[in-house]
This record gives sequence, C-alpha cells and structure tokens, in this order.
Amino acid sequence: MDNKNTMFQRFWLPAALFVVALILPFVISEFWVHVFNEILILGLFAAAFNLVFGYMGQLSFGQAAYYGIGAYTTGLLMVKLHWPLFACLPVSMITAGIGALILGYFCVKLRGIYFAILTMAFGQLVFFIIFQWYSFTGGDNGLQGINPPEWLFKAIPYYYFSLTVVTIGMIILYFITESPFGYTLRAIRDNTERTEFIGINVQRYMLINFVISGMFCGLAGALWGPFNRSVAPDLCSWQHSGHPVFMAVMGGPHHFLGPMIGSVIFTFLNAFVTGFTEYWPLVSGMVIIIVVLVMPGGVFGIIKEKGYFCPRDAGDVKNE
Amino acid sequence: MNDDIILQTDHLSKSFFKYQVLTDVNYQLTRGMIAAIIGPNGAGKSTFFNLVTGYHTVSGGSVFFRGQEITNWARHKIARIGITRAFQVSNIYPKLTTYENVRQSILAQQKRTLNLFIPAERLAKKETLDLLETTGLSGFRNTEAGILSQGDKKKLELALALASKPDLLLLDEPTAGMSSEETHETMELVKRLNKEVGLTILFTEHDISVIFGYAQKLSVLHQGVLVAEGTPEEVRQNKEAQACYLGEEI
Repeated sequence: MDNKNTMFQRFWLPAALFVVALILPFVISEFWVHVFNEILILGLFAAAFNLVFGYMGQLSFGQAAYYGIGAYTTGLLMVKLHWPLFACLPVSMITAGIGALILGYFCVKLRGIYFAILTMAFGQLVFFIIFQWYSFTGGDNGLQGINPPEWLFKAIPYYYFSLTVVTIGMIILYFITESPFGYTLRAIRDNTERTEFIGINVQRYMLINFVISGMFCGLAGALWGPFNRSVAPDLCSWQHSGHPVFMAVMGGPHHFLGPMIGSVIFTFLNAFVTGFTEYWPLVSGMVIIIVVLVMPGGVFGIIKEKGYFCPRDAGDVKNE
Repeated sequence: MNDDIILQTDHLSKSFFKYQVLTDVNYQLTRGMIAAIIGPNGAGKSTFFNLVTGYHTVSGGSVFFRGQEITNWARHKIARIGITRAFQVSNIYPKLTTYENVRQSILAQQKRTLNLFIPAERLAKKETLDLLETTGLSGFRNTEAGILSQGDKKKLELALALASKPDLLLLDEPTAGMSSEETHETMELVKRLNKEVGLTILFTEHDISVIFGYAQKLSVLHQGVLVAEGTPEEVRQNKEAQACYLGEEI
C-alpha cells in the first residue's frame, strides 16, 4: 500500500502533464501547437542543462553549444547528405556528446564562477566557429530547408513526434537522476570534499555528467532544426545558453520537472508578450527578478514550501 | 618494512609558504591498534591527518600505507585503498537524508555509483539500515542530515567513514560537540569495531579522559615536531610531553 502511495505521489504530476500534452492539439489553434512544440523541445534542453545545474551544483552558461551542435548535425546530415530524421537524432546526440567531452574535460577542473565562465567561453568558441565557417555551416546565413519527412510536415504530427522523443528523453533523464550516479551528483553538489573522501573521483563523474547533459542538449537541438526548418548560429550563443538557466530558475532547479515547467512559463510568456510588444526581454527580466525575490526555489520551491504536495526534489527522498 | 605496520611516515614535513607546520615526523602505526595523536591547538595534528589522506600536498618526506608509498596520491585513491577519515567539523551531505548519506558511502564502497539505470533506492538497503543501527542513527533515517544535532552529525560522519570499510580510520576529534553520554557511546563503538573487525584507528582528541581511556599508543606533537611517543603511561611520565601539552602531572 505504501509503495502504491509512493508511486502515486511520485508520478501523478508527470502522468497528468503527459495526458494534458496528448489532448492539447485537439483544443488549441495551430499557432499554440507550435508554441507547445517549442515548450517541449526547450523543456528537454532545460532538463538536460539541469543535470549540471540542479543536480551537480555547477552553473553552465554554455550548454547552447551542445544544443547547437545537435541542431547543426541534424541540419547538415539532412540537407547535405539527405539522411532520414530518425537516423540524425542519435548521431546528433553523439556529436554533441563528443563536443561536451572535449570542452567539458577542461571545464570540470574548475568550480563555481570559473566553471560558469569557462563554459560560456567555450560556448562562444563554438558559436564563432559556426558563425565563421561559411563553406560548411553556412556562416551567419545558417542552414535552410531542413524539412522533416512529409508525414511530419504539419504542426500536429511534428508535435506528437516531439512529444514522443521528449518523453523518452525525460524518462531516461529521470532514471539517471534516481540512479546511484544521480545521487553521486547530488553528493558532489552538497559536499565535493566528502565525496572525494568516500573514494569517488569527482572530476570523472562531473565529466561523465557533462557529456550526458551535452548529449541530451544535442537531442533537443536535433528536434529544433526540422521543427524550425532552419538553424542559425545564434542557437549556440551565450544568450541562448541563458534560456535553460531562466527556465530552471523559474520552474525550480531542485525538482526534476522544474525546468520543464519553467519552459512552459518562459516560452508561453514569450509567445504571449511578443504578440503585443517587442520588449519581451524586459518582461522576461522582470519575471526573473520576481521569481528570484519572491520564490527563490522556483515554482516547485514555493509549492513545496507551502506544502501543497510533496514532490521529490533533487536532494530529497523521503521514502526509501 | 614490517608487515604489521599499517601506516608509516618518513620525515613527513609540511610548510605553508614560509610557515613550517610539520617537521620531519617519523611515525609508525601497528595494525589493529587504537592510537591517538595529541598536542595543543596548532601542534599539527590535523595537518598530519591532511597529509596522510591527501587533503594537503606533502612538502617533504613520504607516507606509506601497508608498505606502499601513497605520498601525494589523490584523495579518492587513498580512500579506495583503505584509509578514511572523519573531520573535526562534521563533513556530511546536509541536503540528503541520513539514510541517503550512508547509502551513498556504501554504494561508493561497492563501486556501484556509475550505475545509471537502477534506482538507488533499491540498492544497499540492508547494509544501510545495519550501519544506521550500529551508529545509533536509525531513528533519524528520514531526517535531512543538515538539521541533525552536532553530536548526531558526528555520528553520521563516523557512519560515512565506516561505510567505506576502511582498514585505517582517522578520526579528527571524533567526540567534539557530543554530550558525555554520546562521547562514551561513540568511543565504545570505536573500541568495539577495533576488537570485532580489527579496524586500526588513529584519532586526535582534546578530552584527556577519552585519550587515556581508549588509546593504546600516544604520540605527542608540539609545534609540528613529534616530541614523545609510547603507551599512555609512558607519555604520562614523559617530562617533555608534560611540559608542552599536559602542562602538569596528571
């Protein structure tokens, strides 16, 4: 019985969100289907980023680099080699993972603000390579004509395709966060020193996690290209790296679903506000200020504080 | 090297810039012993622990564990070969529950922390509960470790160290912040572990009753120099030890 209660407590919210996501296209216009597609893709991006931020305790300002590598891998494979989309997704994860392995090797030697700055510097490095390499990436023109297969061409089929891929991605990420590896990340976040003294090679685990995060950022990027029909270098820019930071902070970095909820708020507001003003960054800035001042743990932080329900968070298991 | 010697340091020295905090310490610890390093504040006791466990880099000399040189090894490597420690200020995972703290250390010892797909909550249940029972923390297993009392945090840190199944356990002031009852319980546990599993224990302590009640060998450090060594009775009678630490006859 206890087990059933625990399972219910743990999974009712993601299950409810999934059902809502399934029904949505039947009750909203095509424009909003596009918006929710974006929410899903950016939500996966933010959840992957949160492996590094919420679970490992390090702020990366360069995850857009791996998102961009994933997007460009799919774009290049589809446009230049005419690969099928399905084959591009795993390859994009691998290339983004290789990028994260090479750059992360240096980043995980640092902590705190130095880690954040180096991730941002490497992110900008990727941005400038893509920006300058006209013959291969199209430079600042980007790549156009990344068309999904015909049966995914319309908004609703692509939405369900994204929903499937994102759901699978989120389930894998959830398993990782609940695994001994996931708890080792929490341990590193909580007390790096003690973690070393129980015999764990902290740098190695940080690097593995950085690569996993990069791979799933790459998967999100791979979904973005065919969704948008094009990719551009600013997908890798440091401003774009800020989006998952906003989302995780808004939703709550200490809850697995926090970044996805943050993506809902951020992307929805973006779509809504840009409908009547061009000053969206001003509005998003104000929202961030309010969140940080009023609910520093994000939406899930305030929900937990008020005791409305007790979802598990990134440092908390009450039922063993 | 004698097989019975579990820890040995040869001319171990440490300086921070121009300050020499440990000078030519030649120390040997026999397997299966409970030993203490004593000395006034600033004598170099914690620094000695820090050098043995890789927390600080060694400036001069060598450290040997079971005959193998481990000077300046990485901390996790030293922990893996069988040396663990508890710190003076409890060093735990404040946002994890007591249960998760202990389980984390057990999973690390079992080399299962790279497992990505089995939920952690399914693993090491019995071992975790047993160790919580042994260290008297069963009642707090669902409590977030950060809100435990100082004494319970010390017990938890001891549990984290024991979970690693070490051959040599270094305890830096293990009873600091504990009530006299908790102090007695903790030291009795240490003694029991020493007797039952043959765990070698080296500790520092300021409480004279703990030092003379439990240590079989005492070493006195003063201003980074090892000035006296022997059984508690020998050290008690040693004039140099009396002068620099004990102050007056006990």
